[in-house]
Amino acid sequence: MRPSTLTRLAVAGSRTDLLRTVLTALSALLATVAMLCAATVLSVHGWADRYTNPLLVEPGLRPGVAGTLILVSLPVLALAGQCIRLGAPARDRRLAAIRLAGATPQESVLIATAETAVASLLGSVTGLVAFIVARRQLDRPNFYGQRVLPTDVLPPVPVIVVLVLLVPVLSAWIGAFLLRQVIITPLGVVRRVRTRGPRPWPGLLIAAGVVLFAVPGQLAEQRSFSKNTIYAFLGAGAVLTMAGVVLGTAWISYAVGVLLRRYGRGPVTLLAGQRLITDPWNGSRTMAGLLTAVIAGAIALAYRELLATEFRSYDIYNAMMGWSEGGVGAPDEPEFYYGAVRLVMVAVALVSVVAAAGVLVALAESIVARRRTYAALTATGVPRRTLSAAVLLQTLTPLIPALLLALAAGDALVRLIETEIPIGNEFRECVERGLGGCEAPRHPEMATVLHVPIPWANLALLGGGALLAVLVAVGAGLLVLRASTDLEELRAG
Amino acid sequence: MSTAHVLLGLLAGGPRHGYDLKRAHDESLPRAKPLAFGQVYATLGRLERDGYVTESGQDRDGGPDRTSYELTDDGRRHLDTWLSAVEPPAPYVTSEIFSKVVVALHAADAERARDYLVAQRAAHMSRMRELTTAKSTPAASIGDVIAADYAIGHLEADLRWLQTTLTRVAGLSKEVTN
Amino acid sequence: MSALLSGTNVVRNYGATPALRGVDLAVDEGEIVAVTGPSGCGKSTLLHCLAGILRPDAGTVTYRDQNIGLWSEAARSRLRRTDFGVLFQFGQLVPELTAVENVALPLLLAGSGRREARSVAAEWLDRLGVAELAEQRPGAMSGGQQQRCATARALVTQPRVLFADEPTGALDVLTGEQVLGEIVRVARELGTAVVLVTHAASVAAYADREIVLRDGVLDPTGLGLGVAR
Repeated sequence: MRPSTLTRLAVAGSRTDLLRTVLTALSALLATVAMLCAATVLSVHGWADRYTNPLLVEPGLRPGVAGTLILVSLPVLALAGQCIRLGAPARDRRLAAIRLAGATPQESVLIATAETAVASLLGSVTGLVAFIVARRQLDRPNFYGQRVLPTDVLPPVPVIVVLVLLVPVLSAWIGAFLLRQVIITPLGVVRRVRTRGPRPWPGLLIAAGVVLFAVPGQLAEQRSFSKNTIYAFLGAGAVLTMAGVVLGTAWISYAVGVLLRRYGRGPVTLLAGQRLITDPWNGSRTMAGLLTAVIAGAIALAYRELLATEFRSYDIYNAMMGWSEGGVGAPDEPEFYYGAVRLVMVAVALVSVVAAAGVLVALAESIVARRRTYAALTATGVPRRTLSAAVLLQTLTPLIPALLLALAAGDALVRLIETEIPIGNEFRECVERGLGGCEAPRHPEMATVLHVPIPWANLALLGGGALLAVLVAVGAGLLVLRASTDLEELRAG
Repeated sequence: MSTAHVLLGLLAGGPRHGYDLKRAHDESLPRAKPLAFGQVYATLGRLERDGYVTESGQDRDGGPDRTSYELTDDGRRHLDTWLSAVEPPAPYVTSEIFSKVVVALHAADAERARDYLVAQRAAHMSRMRELTTAKSTPAASIGDVIAADYAIGHLEADLRWLQTTLTRVAGLSKEVTN
Repeated sequence: MSALLSGTNVVRNYGATPALRGVDLAVDEGEIVAVTGPSGCGKSTLLHCLAGILRPDAGTVTYRDQNIGLWSEAARSRLRRTDFGVLFQFGQLVPELTAVENVALPLLLAGSGRREARSVAAEWLDRLGVAELAEQRPGAMSGGQQQRCATARALVTQPRVLFADEPTGALDVLTGEQVLGEIVRVARELGTAVVLVTHAASVAAYADREIVLRDGVLDPTGLGLGVAR
């Protein structure tokens, strides 16, 4: 097959395909811009007080900023990959017909991914242009020559080239990876189905994640860890927990499905329950990005609460000692640290929006993939309302426990570090060791222990926000259902 | 009897004599049984008696006398009536194949009927293949093609009946042996 | 002389349901063979196995003394753009491509240049009497026109075997007859063997011989249920 043939076959498509191309290009654009920003931040060297933003000034904080930006670009990339399944029926038909004409399985995957790659390249090049234009426009140094954003530096050209190419390559790879779940045969496109229900082993992953996360805090007394080791433990623990929650959603879906089948009354619970039992992994696939974001958000919120408690303890201690200037604790205003947490929360919000878009794409795809069943059900007189309710039920019933699990896991991880902060450490040690002179504390506050509260309100807000995002996505997905239940679908080959 | 109607139809185009009519009949109905001369004249006689045709002339260019016939107004009306009359859809079933299977089931057993059906199907299929080849040749005239179509249609109906009967008869023999 | 294409004891199951339970069939060079039988007898599955679209669960499918059942999916796919042509009831044309692009597709996949492939494809459309449809998409064509284009695509590579599964099943009698007539005529001209799957006796009558399947096995008597006992 010549490249010209590949291009012709890759861009052969209808309006739905155009929509997919636009979405793919758009997500590639966003991801490229985010990564270019990250690279720009990393290109700043040394103590950079030429910026007004403290996050950019300190060399120690910039990797965090860059990391957050990359964190944002990951779900965007995943979205680009998910888009490959959008408008699947027409594309399935096309790919099957091409296979029948003699294309090998590899060639058909190549044709499908070439389209994604071309669209992503279009998007990432546009992203590069947008980035260059934006940094010109936003470059406004103040009176002292200080800037808000690092619009005065650029990453090295090879890095820019790599980043612009990275997005198309990555999204094509993700797309090809997602296509592994389908087999494109000359007779049509078949989805691989796992026959065995999922087991609750992801619970072990969560347990392992929690243990790893707890290691640095619990063993700090016995032995000292280097900073990097601590980061490795915390990072590995968080990632394992996230993986456990995401994969565990499959088991939750299955279990919920079984419960719905057993105790449900009426066609809605029957349809939704059977769907969950038949494809329990659907939830994991669709919600992966969102759940990960929620865990990250819960960690950030819990950490914020820990910081707040710590600052409170410093305040009490300083007040107790009568220090008004300086004293123990954070040298800078706590606002700075809150700012960092807020940045993470903004990232989480962005990721959630993108993840919700991913949910929409995946949901639309899963509805469209079963459009014939839905159209046939409609034709036999099942009201659309019943089908809509079933889709809603099959999305929300596993999502709510999964969200609760994600929130609990995120908060629990941080609580492993510290749940209570005593005000007077020296006093307690003195009492414990039985040294004299401390039986009657000078300050009664010495005996207080501050408990780190669980940020119920914020966690509820986070979970509620995620739920709302999914509800919006489902609402949009139901519009797809309406189109899919057109009786025309029964005729389409 | 439709031979009379066919002759009336052929005369609708203008006067013809007996030999001409026979040739035209055989050409336009290629898969029908060819008409015998005697039958042509007997039929013409009957039509003349009923006032549907009348002698229109004699010609004698170097041969026996040839009497030409033409359609009367009565004959044209009669032809019109026949053309627009709906035929009753086969009130009685008369077919050698059908009778044979029924008799085989009575006089012998299901096995015998089955053997016969299998052989008959093979014969039908091979005839159908011949007809299909004949009508697919580029030289085939429209008359050839529609005649073959007609025959194929009937063979196909027979084949469908053979198939169904065979399935039923097989069920019958299974019931007997069980 | 060994046959061009043969299946020996071909077995194929769908899950626990057997579709073919050991079928033997040989097709010679240039021969037209009809495969008939009632719905669900396994005739389409047999065609898919012979054409290398499906891999038999047991038994062998031999083409030119090679057991293509052992070949990889990719190798069997490549066979479809050189030696095998496939024609279904409907749906084999790519809806987004024009007629001439559809017909050119096997040549393009095999690596031909665009211009060359298009000119060969245009000739084939002409040969099947639909030259004027070259720039139309399948959606804008009638069923008969689509099947003519599909026939052109199946034969554009001058295959040694054409696999036709109810090629006229979705057409009315007259259109079906015309399309079938064209298929048979061109196949005879090319010396291409045809495996013609159908449930209609009138379609099977176009073949040189007929084999009958019933419940996944050959029925040597042509019909009759007693055979499988």
